[in-house]
Amino acid sequence: MTNSIMTCEAFDAELSDYIEGMLDGQARARVDQHLRECVRCASLLRDVERIQTEAAALPDLVPSRDLWAGIEARIAAPVIPLVARPEKQRGVSPAWMGVAAAALIVATAGVTYTLTARSFDSRNSGAVAQGALSPALLALPPSTVVASTEPPGRGASSPAVDSGAPPQDTRVSASARFRSTTSGRVTAVSRNLQPEVPRSEALYGKEIAMLQAIVSQKKTRLDSSTVAVIERNLQIIDAAIEQSKAALAKDPASILLSEQLSHALDKKVELLRTAAMLPAST
Amino acid sequence: MAASNAVPIAMDDTTDVALAAAGDRQAFERLYRAHANRVYSLCARMAGSRVKGEELTQDVFVRTWEKLPQFRGESAFSTWLHRLAVNVVLNARKTDSKRDSRTDDNEEDGAERWDETARAPMHVERMDLKQAIDRLPAGARKVFVLHDIEGYKHEEIAAMCGITSGGSKAQLHRARLLLREALER
Repeated sequence: MTNSIMTCEAFDAELSDYIEGMLDGQARARVDQHLRECVRCASLLRDVERIQTEAAALPDLVPSRDLWAGIEARIAAPVIPLVARPEKQRGVSPAWMGVAAAALIVATAGVTYTLTARSFDSRNSGAVAQGALSPALLALPPSTVVASTEPPGRGASSPAVDSGAPPQDTRVSASARFRSTTSGRVTAVSRNLQPEVPRSEALYGKEIAMLQAIVSQKKTRLDSSTVAVIERNLQIIDAAIEQSKAALAKDPASILLSEQLSHALDKKVELLRTAAMLPAST
Repeated sequence: MAASNAVPIAMDDTTDVALAAAGDRQAFERLYRAHANRVYSLCARMAGSRVKGEELTQDVFVRTWEKLPQFRGESAFSTWLHRLAVNVVLNARKTDSKRDSRTDDNEEDGAERWDETARAPMHVERMDLKQAIDRLPAGARKVFVLHDIEGYKHEEIAAMCGITSGGSKAQLHRARLLLREALER
């Protein structure tokens, strides 16, 4: 329908703005005039307003099942309780974190070195020391590695991963252990060592991964010098973790080494949590 | 309601938000209980599917858990949560089926069709508003839900959806006309 002021097509174009009160006085008056004269557009307006009112009043829908279980399963990670200290967390200075991390690495390295040297020497008398290993032995592929990590005397009962390896060659076993642990791969070579290292990694792995994802996303909103300090300290702690793992691989029964590894992992979680909670303006 | 409310819902989100941001899953469950239905409503209506809405609701709360440490309290938690939910739904749609991609191509020009894929013919029986909304074309449904149900402005919808404000208005008008048509049958 057309009247002297507005067509129905023009009304359709103005309808949303009219409903939302976005038209100026003159435009609104033209629409009002059209509505008084056009049954079709008046009906349309009523229906649209009714739909709008009913839509705004629609009640919340309710899921057909409890969705929390699925959510919890996806966010689940071993939560390592830390003392709540929100004020201190915000007040942690990058310098303090550096000092703490440096102290950790020094302590861990010292203890690791001492224990490793002592236990390794006592259990492998006659074997080649780690630093004296032939480059050729260090370069051996994993397939040539002897599985046994047992001390001499129990080696005869230890199964070999690769039957082609000389079962009595403790030098090969030592080099293999050294190579596999320093590269971060604890494989069949250290089957007997696995209970210690993976247990810690399993405990902390998901938590660390989750926190690292948060920190990674947050980095862009942190001051670059803060990010640099965090990354430097993470590298230090990671080095401590690797050293602890290497030492544990050589002396898997050591409670002290195990505690050192847990302590280093704790520090990593703590640093990541601190970083995750840092305000963006820091 | 299938959800069990074993965890009491706090009157105020503030404490639970802080606790959850620090890793307290029980506090986060309380937040979930408090906001699940509203988030689910948004997801299900924007997706036009109850089943998809449940999947998206889970995605929203997992994303919320991940993002919570970044929540700075500049707006109400519920506002932040709903904005996050909208983004999750929109991002999910981007990676959805070819059908949705084809529909999105038509969003700006308003040349939409009723989304009848996997649904009963519309002319069989008169629909109520909820059913009619579910059967809107994806682009029109998205704008209608955000504007007429969730109360977002056209400028906000345009920014979230990557369309123009005029495109948002056109989609809304189209959605209203289609709903009117459906409800009159």
